[in-house]
Amino acid sequence: MDVIEAVGLGKRYGRKWGLRDCTLSVPAGCVTGLVGPNGSGKTTLLSLAVGMIRPTAGTVRVAGETAGSLAARDLTAFVAQDAPLYQNLPVRDMLRVARNLNVRWDHGRASSRLDGLGIPLKQRVGALSGGQKAQLALTIALARRPELLVLDEPLAALDPLARADFMKSVREAVAADRISAVFSTHVVAELEQVANYLIVLGHGEVLLSGPTAELTAAHGGESPEKVILSALRADSQSHTQGVR
Amino acid sequence: MTAAAIPGRPERAAVRPVTWTRLAWVTWRQHRAALAGAGALLGVIAAYLAYMGWEIHRAYDSLNACLPASLRGPAMRQAGGPPAVTPACGALERAFMSFYGSGRGSVASSGINAQVVPFLLLAVPVLVGAFVGGPVLARELESGTFRFAWTQGAGRVRLAAARLVPLPVVLTAAAYGVSALLSWYIGPFVQAGVTGKYPMQLFGTMGTDFAAWTLFSFAVAAFAGVLLRRTVPAMAASLVVLTTADVVTMMALRQHYATPIVVTGNEPAGLGNLVVGNWFTTTSGVPVNQATVFSAVGRLPFGVTPSPALLAAHHYLQWWSYQPASRWWQFQLTEGGWLLAASLFLIAATVLLIRRRPA
Repeated sequence: MDVIEAVGLGKRYGRKWGLRDCTLSVPAGCVTGLVGPNGSGKTTLLSLAVGMIRPTAGTVRVAGETAGSLAARDLTAFVAQDAPLYQNLPVRDMLRVARNLNVRWDHGRASSRLDGLGIPLKQRVGALSGGQKAQLALTIALARRPELLVLDEPLAALDPLARADFMKSVREAVAADRISAVFSTHVVAELEQVANYLIVLGHGEVLLSGPTAELTAAHGGESPEKVILSALRADSQSHTQGVR
Repeated sequence: MTAAAIPGRPERAAVRPVTWTRLAWVTWRQHRAALAGAGALLGVIAAYLAYMGWEIHRAYDSLNACLPASLRGPAMRQAGGPPAVTPACGALERAFMSFYGSGRGSVASSGINAQVVPFLLLAVPVLVGAFVGGPVLARELESGTFRFAWTQGAGRVRLAAARLVPLPVVLTAAAYGVSALLSWYIGPFVQAGVTGKYPMQLFGTMGTDFAAWTLFSFAVAAFAGVLLRRTVPAMAASLVVLTTADVVTMMALRQHYATPIVVTGNEPAGLGNLVVGNWFTTTSGVPVNQATVFSAVGRLPFGVTPSPALLAAHHYLQWWSYQPASRWWQFQLTEGGWLLAASLFLIAATVLLIRRRPA
């Protein structure tokens, strides 16, 4: 079964297409890296998948349900960029808010994860470090017991150590809960250690998509980093020529 | 690495929406500070009204006890105020009236008295509505937490409804309580005929009007919050819009809820009547302007209008249009009705904007 299925998916902002003619199927159980330069449509694609925005064209289904529907919301957990949470609440009340906003909620899982991370329940969310905040957002997302975990630029605001810890948490959680995860990033280095499926976007269009191993094999065993960069370079050149 | 297939999950149970009680808890947790602020303001006002009202009632009862039966309560109302006839009751009469700001006494000299308080309270619905309603959605949009809130299982429409229904209901009910207390507080002056029964002047702070303006203010501020997406501008804009709406309603709109009654002769200065306008004609009905009339009848002391007899001697008539005090409840229902309709419309529009808003 595919955890994300997009057919002819498009989103237009005014006269400009943020995402155009996107057809994808991401198999369940993968950690998918969504890569592309700024403005390439990463956030648009993720926002469509979690139902934050509605498509202008085409459809997108998540875990077999129409994105944004009650059923899809129930199965999808989203951590937006900069992990927005209620800064003024203590961690404990932040958890209670999340619990009361969801039918599916595993409170034991949330508290034991926070215990393990050493994040005190009495602490105000606003007083946590960037890394702790990201971990709290991930904890809340995982406590929802989703089938799909969606992370928008989870690494952008983190220092290198927190990045490594965070991605380790994601990998472990995906393995332990047997769920799927999609995360967007513009850091392409060491991507193969994290993502076993890749989607490369450029100028709102899908340039490449497939299992990391297949993509590298098809390009003569090059590293994923080189495969991605050559795809982006080719896209950038074709657009520059198009303008002329 | 290759993609591993997930072993078949058990059949998914039918998804239920999150219950309203859970959402109500979230609303309470996130708005309890704002509600406490509104509660403190209304509570202080209520405590003041309760205490001063008790004093006023006590002073009124003492005055009534002193006066002969023929001058008590309803008789005072007939006479248009408490009499200062009996020397024995003069001190009690002055004490009672000092609460109204007439004569001397600590209440009168403080400048805050039963004459002023209803007008001060006109600002309360606007303030409460703007300060509680403004941030309800704007704060979420401003801080980016809407991206958290709207992607939870509950969904954005249900979440918005869980705020946009209980909060205004609670505020409106509390405001109604305060205005009921004000009616009781000012009661002795109404009974004594100092101020008219259900006076048009106290329209905005009595009956259902105070509560209706609180509801409307909340709805305007919440709507402004979604339009402007920022808390402080939303509060500022709604304060401006609401103050304007309040003043325009009071000065220019309310008097047109029903066709005024037109009379000629003396000013219809009955208790609680609202005079809308006056003009002059000749006895044959030709309109004349005021300056012509005044120069014809001769110089009068400032502020004195010529009597019907004097005007008749010069072949003029003065006409008055007014809303009688008996229309008070009809007007309350009219204003309450349009405020309620406008509030429901704005709340529905707010939910619709949330539903359609591209993130």
